[in-house]
Amino acid sequence: MGIRYYQEPQLQNPILVASWPGIGNIGIIAIDTLRGALEAEEFAEIEPWDFFYPKGVLIKKGVLQHLEFPGSRFYFKKMKENDILFFIGEEQPTEMGRMYAEGRRAYGMANLVLDVAEKLGCRRVYTSGAAVALIHHTAQPRVWAVPNTRSLLAEVKGYDNTVLMSDIEGRGGQGNITGLNGLLLGVARRRGLEAICLMGEIPVYLQGLAVSYPRASKAVLEVISRRLGIEINMDNLDELDRKVQRKVEEFYQQIPLEIRGQLDRLKHVAYAQPAEPGPITQEEEKKIMEDVERFFKKRGGAD
Amino acid sequence: MNPGYPIRMHKKPVFPQSSLVLGWRQDLGNLGRKVTDYLNRKLGGEEFAGVEPEDFFPLDGVAIEDNVARFPESKFYACQEHELVVFQSDSPGAEWYRFLNLVLEMAEQHCRVREVYVLGAMISFSAHTTPRQLLAVVNTTGMKEVLSQYDLAGDVDYQTQPGERPTLNSFLLWIARKRNIPGVSLWVPIPFYLAAMEDAQARKKVLSFLDERLNLRIDFSDLDHEVVKQNEQLARARSRIPQINEYISRLESNLMLSEEENGELITRIEDFLREGG
Repeated sequence: MGIRYYQEPQLQNPILVASWPGIGNIGIIAIDTLRGALEAEEFAEIEPWDFFYPKGVLIKKGVLQHLEFPGSRFYFKKMKENDILFFIGEEQPTEMGRMYAEGRRAYGMANLVLDVAEKLGCRRVYTSGAAVALIHHTAQPRVWAVPNTRSLLAEVKGYDNTVLMSDIEGRGGQGNITGLNGLLLGVARRRGLEAICLMGEIPVYLQGLAVSYPRASKAVLEVISRRLGIEINMDNLDELDRKVQRKVEEFYQQIPLEIRGQLDRLKHVAYAQPAEPGPITQEEEKKIMEDVERFFKKRGGAD
Repeated sequence: MNPGYPIRMHKKPVFPQSSLVLGWRQDLGNLGRKVTDYLNRKLGGEEFAGVEPEDFFPLDGVAIEDNVARFPESKFYACQEHELVVFQSDSPGAEWYRFLNLVLEMAEQHCRVREVYVLGAMISFSAHTTPRQLLAVVNTTGMKEVLSQYDLAGDVDYQTQPGERPTLNSFLLWIARKRNIPGVSLWVPIPFYLAAMEDAQARKKVLSFLDERLNLRIDFSDLDHEVVKQNEQLARARSRIPQINEYISRLESNLMLSEEENGELITRIEDFLREGG
């Protein structure tokens, strides 16, 4: 179980931005777009075999040539103030047929990522993922932010288009972040590193579909890039969003009219504070969730 | 062995050198289990070690097989006289790299294994009357040369397709190469309508190769009898059930069946064989 370095960059106050795939690939698309835009340079990778089942094999004339594993790669980009360290995991190290990494291997990988970050002087970590929300796909997604220490709450409150768990109606500041995008936050806390997870909202009825949700990736990217003081061209994400929205709309039209009628009401959801009466009552919200769940169970597509 | 080390050893076999044959229990046509059972029976294989399951299998209950609860098993057998080590196991669900390395480490350090043979079956859309071929994928060019004198289809080209994953056998071969152990993965096609049952002919094909290559001198008269019996059962199925005959005849003429027809052939054959053929 180890790290393979191609070079050891000298970085100045680096910030780690890390992501693994998850629902709608929201986090990983955001982070990978940023990495691509900055042309960050690859410098290390986590040796994959202790974590992953191989993803490809090449056999030529009866001789095994090559076995390919999912990549877990580190990149860096020198900046004026804080240099940026990227970690992109192509897959979560899942086992026993589970969807997200958990247990010993997940903890091992989180620690390896932070070993590299700390070695290069990093004290701040961002991760990113998805927030399954009761919103309509025509709505502009917000970003849910979860810091790993109370001292970061004030900073997070200052981010644009961002809410804390306590701002989400009915949550009371509680919740959980599944898989490595969440676990890294906890492991960072244990090691005394500041960390914040930024999660782009995805409509509850899209969480089980095998589509990306670039609209939410863009929302996350806007928050991160502003925080890092970088301007990013979002044209590619906008183009991808238009394509995905067309597919989503096709899917939406296949939802039975009765359920779609309920979901249509989400178009009118204004983001309410917990104390304010929202346009949908809690009873109605429960009914929508039950209908959606039933529909996906029937379709066999829900998580 | 250290406490916590996931291999428990009951006996220490003494081998000047040996070959390792591995078979997975959940193989198509029960090939892995049947071939390794057969080798153990014919060559006096004695269990000498096993892998503890807790790190490698989802121990969230038990599977029921043929009305009986079973537990994941991974066992080593020594066929001392024939310098052969047999490993029969359920396919692990986690920590594959560690599991496969443990198996090879055990084989290398305690049995001086010099070569590895791993068994696999693949679905064939040909009729059972088509002669079985044995495909071989090796992990070194040297091994390919060594095996060129045997009746093997050895020029396989393959690349994983989107949505697929490599087999555990490829993973094992790759690890064996990292450990400098020459190895071969043997693949025998099994007609799709026998895949959930058994295919004596496929077993015979694999065993004949191992017999020749490892100089095992096995008397196959019992297996030959099984092959004859299987062929007779399938011939009876064809003569009694016209639909089965029609579908198999079309396969024999290299015509494809529709998905629905494939399903019907599988059901009819399985029902017929379960009722005693």
